[in-house]
Amino acid sequence: MTTAAKTGTELNLIAHLLRRTGFGATWDELQECAALGYDGTIDRLFNPGEPEHMPSDIIRRYHPDQSITQIAPSSGSVWMYRMTTTKTPFEEKIALFWHRIFATGQTKLIQGKVMLTQIEMFRQFGLGSFRDLLVQLSQNPAMILWLDNQDNHKDNINENYGREILELFAMGVGNYSEEDIKECSRAFTGWTIANMPYMSIRMRNNTLRPYGYVAWQYRFDPDDHDEGEKTFLGETGNFNGDDIIDIICKNEATPRFIARHLYHHFIADELPVPQWPFEGPKDPEAIQLMVDAYFANDYNIGAMLRAVFESDMFKSEATQYARVKAPVELVVGTLRLAGGFDWPTQDIFKATAACSYMGQALLAPVSVEGWMGGEDWISTGSMVQRINFASDAMGDLTKKGIKAIIDRVSERHPVGEVAPMALVDDCLELLGALQVEPDTRKGLFTYARAQGEINPRTNEGARKIASVLQLIVSTREYQLI
Amino acid sequence: MTTGTRRSLKYLETNGFGAAQGGRGYHFPVDIAVRSDDRIYVLSRSGQGSLNGTGISVTDIEHGWHGEFSSYGTGDGQIQWATAIAFGPNDRLYLADEKLQRITIFDTDNKYVSHWGSAGSGAGEFDGPSGLAFDDDGNLLIVDHKNHRIQRYTPDGDFIDSFGRNGAGDGEFDYPWGITIAPDGTTYVADWRNDRIQRFTKRGDFIDAYGASGDGEDQFNRPSAVAVDGDGYIYVADWMNQRVQVFDKDWNFQTSARGQADLGPWAAEYIDANADEKRARESFNPYPKLDVDDPHEVSARTEPYFWVPVSLALYKDDRLLVLETARHRFQIYETV
Repeated sequence: MTTAAKTGTELNLIAHLLRRTGFGATWDELQECAALGYDGTIDRLFNPGEPEHMPSDIIRRYHPDQSITQIAPSSGSVWMYRMTTTKTPFEEKIALFWHRIFATGQTKLIQGKVMLTQIEMFRQFGLGSFRDLLVQLSQNPAMILWLDNQDNHKDNINENYGREILELFAMGVGNYSEEDIKECSRAFTGWTIANMPYMSIRMRNNTLRPYGYVAWQYRFDPDDHDEGEKTFLGETGNFNGDDIIDIICKNEATPRFIARHLYHHFIADELPVPQWPFEGPKDPEAIQLMVDAYFANDYNIGAMLRAVFESDMFKSEATQYARVKAPVELVVGTLRLAGGFDWPTQDIFKATAACSYMGQALLAPVSVEGWMGGEDWISTGSMVQRINFASDAMGDLTKKGIKAIIDRVSERHPVGEVAPMALVDDCLELLGALQVEPDTRKGLFTYARAQGEINPRTNEGARKIASVLQLIVSTREYQLI
Repeated sequence: MTTGTRRSLKYLETNGFGAAQGGRGYHFPVDIAVRSDDRIYVLSRSGQGSLNGTGISVTDIEHGWHGEFSSYGTGDGQIQWATAIAFGPNDRLYLADEKLQRITIFDTDNKYVSHWGSAGSGAGEFDGPSGLAFDDDGNLLIVDHKNHRIQRYTPDGDFIDSFGRNGAGDGEFDYPWGITIAPDGTTYVADWRNDRIQRFTKRGDFIDAYGASGDGEDQFNRPSAVAVDGDGYIYVADWMNQRVQVFDKDWNFQTSARGQADLGPWAAEYIDANADEKRARESFNPYPKLDVDDPHEVSARTEPYFWVPVSLALYKDDRLLVLETARHRFQIYETV
């Protein structure tokens, strides 16, 4: 690929890192990280400081429904505000990652409140010990009701959660037996929620009546827990759920499974999960790198990712632009470039809805397996949605991010007009050091040249620059990450 | 005013019902007002995805239902982002809308009369009208919250004057919200993001400010509304602390209430009519053991507690109505 003018190799690498660990970067954000260097930027990712996102009080005052978020557009929009305004986007990217793997959906759970509590748990535990995360997940009310563990009783087990923690969440098919599923399920009996009968039936009836939803609270019911001896993955004892998690976490199949998910989310598109038992990983060395980091760091997910970000594999040209942007990545990244939401507005619902139209409804994954991702994101319809959304945002000259880009072009060319190729390179750079194929760059140049004179200090010039930005976000490369 | 014994709040009952599609009940209500004939008006802002609940409902202290009016939209008498209601001279109802930047008037039959207002920061313009109160001259005080000021108008919408500006000093505001005029004529403003209540003379001269950020007895977390009774006791909707605090006129702490709602008649009727929910509710413990301490989260999991107590109204000066946005109801307390 051709490197946009005035961008050094390290800056391009930092841009790559920020696309993968966040939603891309504005020029100012890139410059800030450039001062830290690539390694310093990694350090900051893992020691990020305060997120400084739009405060809850402000959101709740203007969107009273977002105090309770019982309605899908409201709950998704709470997260959309967070993603578009946070200064620590890596937290959100991790939350998205676990939301995709530990997929629960408002379609069944009805309550947005408990969904967002789960997302907050992903932020808090998502980069720490996988053991701690699995314990939190197993005690998470949204997950308990999503997989019916409230119906998992000592005298009558329900295997839903016991099966999925092994199959979908931690180990993958082929690494346990049907008997392990039963024993696992027995260990999680009694892991339920407070007021289970009433909460369960209100969820089934999908009703806010009489006084709105009551958010769920985890409760361990010792009277409904199977205290008998269990044999799980070759070990025998009176296991409770957390003992089962200990056994899961020390099994090598676990980090291999999680590493492959991490690879898919942070490195390159992998095969769909159902094919994993039959097809090996794309890059076994990358998987081994993460497995080693997992065992060397007490099952720490952050350590697995840090090993990736520091590796030559991650920095290689082959890894850059190797993934298709998920709809949320595209929408949030575009809004952060254009200047998103400084203050609550009904436009937030449009952004949240746009993700849905592109195939990724926040808090409503398509199945228990989450979203497949990769080329599944792309269809004729979704491409139109993606390009229209990004293009509309770039063409809005009232957005402060767009104004900032135009001002920056003006600063770089303080006198007279901007030459077409210089303009294209400036715009590519100011959109987060975007790199494009030579043919794409040539096409952009042809378009810019056809606009005639472009003086960034005039309204007409600003409109022309915005149109170049619109064309850039319509390119194939902008769809990649 | 009384001295010696502290003012307390004695829970009486609850009025409300979640009515996402309109009908008997409320949907994300944001303000409450009592008319001179004791009819109680509740303003529902509703939420995206279910805007049919937008409107003004009419009830009474005996849980009578007297219908609803207005709806979501931009036409005459409609609402987008409603914030406040207040009764003016001749019992006309005034409605503030912070998105449409206007004040709408309804007559005593709840019919649209007129509206005025436009966006801006000049005299007579609004950037988010969010609190309404009438002074004893019959003039309307409007909290123009994003302009950080209070404007005064005649009942017909003619601008008179304004006071306040953005800041944290005396007489300055940071996104103020609710406003009330005490029986003695003092103006109280919930200075929302400064976490305090400010008092002003009828002319708008600063008297004092009380409160600081926090969850202690002399602290607030985004107070949204104030009510003052005939004895001078002050009731504050401590919005993010999910409680109501009570003070005497010298700001001596009296009591704090966290809420204790039970099923009001509308709610009980619903439960009775749904056998499966009724059966399941028999084992319902409204105060489960929790693993959180943030007041918002605690309220989310505890049905009787206030959840987003946004507005207050006094009924016959001896009952306090506490309106809760997130639970679509108001709790009724006797002030004793």
